[in-house]
Amino acid sequence: MKLMRAVRALAGLGLVGTMAIWSGGAAAQAAAPAQPAKIGSSLIGKLQGPELIRDAKAFPTTFKEAPMLAEQVKAGKLPAVDKRLPEPSQLFVVKPLDQVGKYGGNWRRAFTGPADHENGNRIVSADKILTFDYTGTKIIPSLARDWKVSDDGRTTTIFLRKGAKWSDGKPLTADDFIFWYNDIYLNKNIVPTPFFEFQIDGKDGKMRKVDDYTVAFDFPEPYTFFVYQLAGSTAIGAGFATRGGFQNFGGAYAPAHYLKQFLPKYSSEEAANKKAKDLGFDSWVSLLKMKYSWALNNELPTMTPWKTVSPINTPTWSMERNPYFWAVDTAGNQLPYIDRITMTLAENAEVANLRAIAGEYDIQERHMHLTKLPVFLENAKKGNYTVHLDPGLNGSDVAIHIGNSYEADPEISKLLKNKDFRHALALGIDRDQLNEAFWLGVGSAGSVAPAPDTIYSPGAEWNKKWGVLDLKQANELLDKIGLTKKDADGYRLRADGKGRLRLEMITVGGQFVPFTQVGEMVKQQWKKIGVDLDVKELERNLAFTRDNGSENQMITWANDGSEMLFLFPRHALPVDAAEAHMGMAFAKWYSSKGASGKKPDDPEMLKAFDLFRSAFGMKEEDRVKAGKEIWKIIVEQAWSIGTVGQSPAFMGVRLVKNNMGNVPERQVNAQHARTPNTSMPITFYFK
Amino acid sequence: MVAYVVRRLLLAVLTVWAISVLSFMIIHLPPGDYVTSYIASMSASGSAVSEGEANALREQLGLDKPITVQYAKWMGLMLQGNFGMAMEWGRPVSDVIGDRLTLTMVISVAAIIFTWALALPIGIYSAVYPYSFADYVFTFVGFIGLAIPGFLLALVVMYVGFAYFGANVGGLFSPDFAEAPWSLAKIWDLTKHLPIPAVVLGVSGTAQLIRIMRSNLLDELRKPYVMTARARGLSEYRVIMRYPVRVALNPFVSTIGYLLPYVVSGSIIVSLVLSLPTVGPLLLKALIAQDMFLAGTIVLLLGVMTVIGTFISDLLLMWVDPRIRLGRQ
Repeated sequence: MKLMRAVRALAGLGLVGTMAIWSGGAAAQAAAPAQPAKIGSSLIGKLQGPELIRDAKAFPTTFKEAPMLAEQVKAGKLPAVDKRLPEPSQLFVVKPLDQVGKYGGNWRRAFTGPADHENGNRIVSADKILTFDYTGTKIIPSLARDWKVSDDGRTTTIFLRKGAKWSDGKPLTADDFIFWYNDIYLNKNIVPTPFFEFQIDGKDGKMRKVDDYTVAFDFPEPYTFFVYQLAGSTAIGAGFATRGGFQNFGGAYAPAHYLKQFLPKYSSEEAANKKAKDLGFDSWVSLLKMKYSWALNNELPTMTPWKTVSPINTPTWSMERNPYFWAVDTAGNQLPYIDRITMTLAENAEVANLRAIAGEYDIQERHMHLTKLPVFLENAKKGNYTVHLDPGLNGSDVAIHIGNSYEADPEISKLLKNKDFRHALALGIDRDQLNEAFWLGVGSAGSVAPAPDTIYSPGAEWNKKWGVLDLKQANELLDKIGLTKKDADGYRLRADGKGRLRLEMITVGGQFVPFTQVGEMVKQQWKKIGVDLDVKELERNLAFTRDNGSENQMITWANDGSEMLFLFPRHALPVDAAEAHMGMAFAKWYSSKGASGKKPDDPEMLKAFDLFRSAFGMKEEDRVKAGKEIWKIIVEQAWSIGTVGQSPAFMGVRLVKNNMGNVPERQVNAQHARTPNTSMPITFYFK
Repeated sequence: MVAYVVRRLLLAVLTVWAISVLSFMIIHLPPGDYVTSYIASMSASGSAVSEGEANALREQLGLDKPITVQYAKWMGLMLQGNFGMAMEWGRPVSDVIGDRLTLTMVISVAAIIFTWALALPIGIYSAVYPYSFADYVFTFVGFIGLAIPGFLLALVVMYVGFAYFGANVGGLFSPDFAEAPWSLAKIWDLTKHLPIPAVVLGVSGTAQLIRIMRSNLLDELRKPYVMTARARGLSEYRVIMRYPVRVALNPFVSTIGYLLPYVVSGSIIVSLVLSLPTVGPLLLKALIAQDMFLAGTIVLLLGVMTVIGTFISDLLLMWVDPRIRLGRQ
C-alpha cells in the first residue's frame, strides 16, 4: 500500500517537462481517474468575488493603514495616509468578499524564471485603466475612475482619480498619458509598429488631454469596442503589469517624471546612449526597455498594489506594498492587506508542484497540474491547504486546429478543405474517454464554442454540435467523399492512388495539458473510422514556425481566450498574423488587408472575416449578435475540432492555505480577467 | 618546453574562435528565433504578443538581419568585453551567468570532492583485496550507482526527503534565507542543503571511478616491480601507495580536462530536477528560448573551459608521470 502510494506520487510528479517519459505517467494516470472524477467536480465551488462600491456617498471618510506604513509615517519618512490616498470622493472602494481583513503577512508563491512574468503581472494588474468584475463579464473602472463613450462611438474619454499618486508620491495626471503617447508610443525607435488595438480598420487613433484628470481617445471611425480594449489584456489598456511588464511598451500612461532621464529628447542621443553603454546595455532603447519593466526595475514608480523589491531575474522575485496605492476597503483601510509577496524560483514546474504539496505556498494556481489532483488531495490535510478548481470559459483545452491553408500535399489539402471530411473527423472522437483519462472527468466534452454563459456564446446546443461521437455518420460522410476503398488493416486509401490516407497531427510536449497523449488516444479512436493518424511531437518553437509557413496539417493547442472573441480572436479565427494555427496564410491576408498572404477560398471564412472586421465599430448589442453569428460559423465549419474544455487544466487548479481569507471558492479563470486580478488579491489576507 | 606551451596556446585561441562560430551556428539551426519562442511561450502561459509587438521586438533585437551581421555584432561586443544582452532576462549576459557561477562551482566542487573522497579509497581497497566480500559489495553498489540515471535518483531522493523527513524540497536555500544577504547562518543553511545535490551528482561518477581505479591498480599490482618492492621488505602501505597508486592515478588526471567545463555548468538535468540555481538550467532555458547571446556565451564558456582544462591536464600529466616528462625531453 505504502509502495503503491509512493509509485503514484512519483508518477504524479512526472519527470521533467519535455524530457518526460510520459508513457509511465500516463498509464498510472489513466488508471486513476474513475474515482477522483466525482471528487473533482465537488471541488468546483460557487463563483464569487469582492464588489466595487461606485456610490461616493457610501465611501468611508476616515482612513487606516498597515502597521509597517504607520511606523514610517511616525518616523517622518512618509506622509499621513489621507495625504497619500486620492481625494475621498475619487477612491477605489471595495467591499471584500467575506469581511474586512487584517494587515500583514508574506504571500509565498512559486515562479519559474524571468519568462514567467505573467505570474506576478496578473496579481498586480489593478493598474489597468479599466477591468472586469468578478464574473468576468462586466467592465468596471480600475485605475480610471470612470469612462464615457461618445454617441458617435468615435471618442472614448476616461476620468482619472484626482490626487492619485505614483508609488514615489508624485501625482498621476493626464500629462503622464500624453507623455506616453508622444514620447513613447509615437517614437518609432521605441514602438516601430502601432498597436492594432489603437487602430480602427488600420487607421490610427489619437490621444488628447482634455484637462489634468481627463484623457480622450479619438478615432477617425466609430470604435465602440475600444472600451473593451482598455479593460482587456491588451497593450493599450495595460499599465505596467499587463503588457508593459516585459519587452513591450504597453500604455497608455507612464511616469514622465522618472522616464524622461532615459530619453534622448530630454538630453541628447549621445548622452542617452552613453548612459546605456555605461550600464552594459547596447543602446538607450535597451536600457529604456529594462527601466520600463516593473518586474526588472525596482526603482520604477508604479500604480500597482505591490511593487518589486527583488527583481524577477534573481532567485527570488519579491514585492512589497505600494504605500500610495489608491484603494481602500469599506472600513477605510488602505489596501492591500498583505505586506509582501515572495516568489521563489522553481527551475521546473515539477518542483513547484512538490513544494505546493508540502504546503510551502499560500495561494498558488499557476503551474499546478490537473493531472496531479489526486496527489494534491491526498496531501491536503498534511499541507494544510484546500484545493479549488476554477474551470476556464473556453471550449477546448485541446483543440485540433486544422491547417486550412496547408498546401504541401494536394490530396490532403483538398480533404482538409472539405467540410464533410472535417465533420467526419470531429464525429470520430470519443470525448468522454479523453475527459476521463486526461481531465479526471472535470472537463466538458464538445465543440470549440465557449461556455454557454459567456457573452458571445451562440447557445448551449452549439457546444455539442459536431462535438459528439457518431461513428456511423462519420463513416457515411467519409464514404460520401469517395474515400471508400480500404487496405487490409481497415484504413481508407487516398483517392489519388498513393496508398493509405495518412494524416499528421503536430503536438507540443511539456505544456499544461498533455497534447501528445491526447493525440495518441485520438489516433486510436480514428482507427474506427478508418483514418490513420500520425502523432508527431515537436519542440514548441518548431511547431509554431511550421505554423507560420502553413506546413502543419493539424496541430493541437488550447483555444484559451477565445471566449472573448473580439479581444483575443487568434485561437478562434485566423485573423492575427502573430499566431494562427488554423491557417497563417489567411491570417496574413486578413491583417494586411490583402497585401500579403493568401485569400481563403472558403466563402464562409470570408463571411466570418467580414463580420469580424465590422464588429469593432458596432453598437454593443449588434456586436454581441455578430459574435454569436461568427461562433455559429466557426462551429459549423469545424476549422478547429473541439475535444474537452471548460476545465481547470489551464491555471485553474488552485491550492489555498487554510489561513487565507477573502479567497473566492471559484474565480473566473480567463485571460481577459487577468485571473486572479478580478478576485482582487488586494483584499486577500492572513487570518 | 616554452615553444610547446606557446604552440598549444595559439592552437587554443584558434579552437576557441572556431567554437564561437560553431556555437552561434548551432543556436541558429533550429527554426524560428527568440521572438517565435517568445510568442509561443506567451501563448502557452495565457498571454499574448501582437504582430506589431513581435515585429518591433525583431527589429530592436536585430533578429531581422542576416546571421553574419548578427555574428559580427556579437563578436564586436565581445572584443569590448561585453557579451550582449540576455533577451529573456533583460540584463547583460555576464551578470546573468555571473550570478549563478559561484553557486554552480560550489555544488560541482562539492560533488567532485565527494566523488574522489569515496572513489579513491574504495578503488584502492577493492584492488588490494580483490574478490573479497567487501569488494563484491562495493562492486554491486557501484554498478547500481552506474545504472541509475541521476535525474531518477534525484526524484526518489526528493520524494523520500519530502515524505519521510519533511525536508524542504529542492533548491539550495530555505525560503527564509533565499533573499537574505550572506551571513554565517546563510552559509550554514547552504551547507545543510548541499549534501543532496552533491551526492546525487557524485554517485554515478563515484561508481565509474571506483571501477577505473580498481582495474588500473589491479594491473599495476601484478607487475614485477611491486613484487620486487615487497621482496625488498618495504611496508605494504608504502609498496602500494608510493608507486602503483600513482601510476593508476593517470586516468584521473587526464579527466581533469573535462572536469573544468563540468564545474562551471553543473549537470543540466539533475540541476533542473532538484531546482538548483546553476548554469545548467540557464543554458537549457536559453536554448529553448533561442536567447542567442546567452546560450552562445555559455556554450563558448564551456568550450573555453574544455580547452583550458585539456591544457592543464597535459601539464599535470607531465608533472605526475615522469615517463611522459622524460619522454618529451
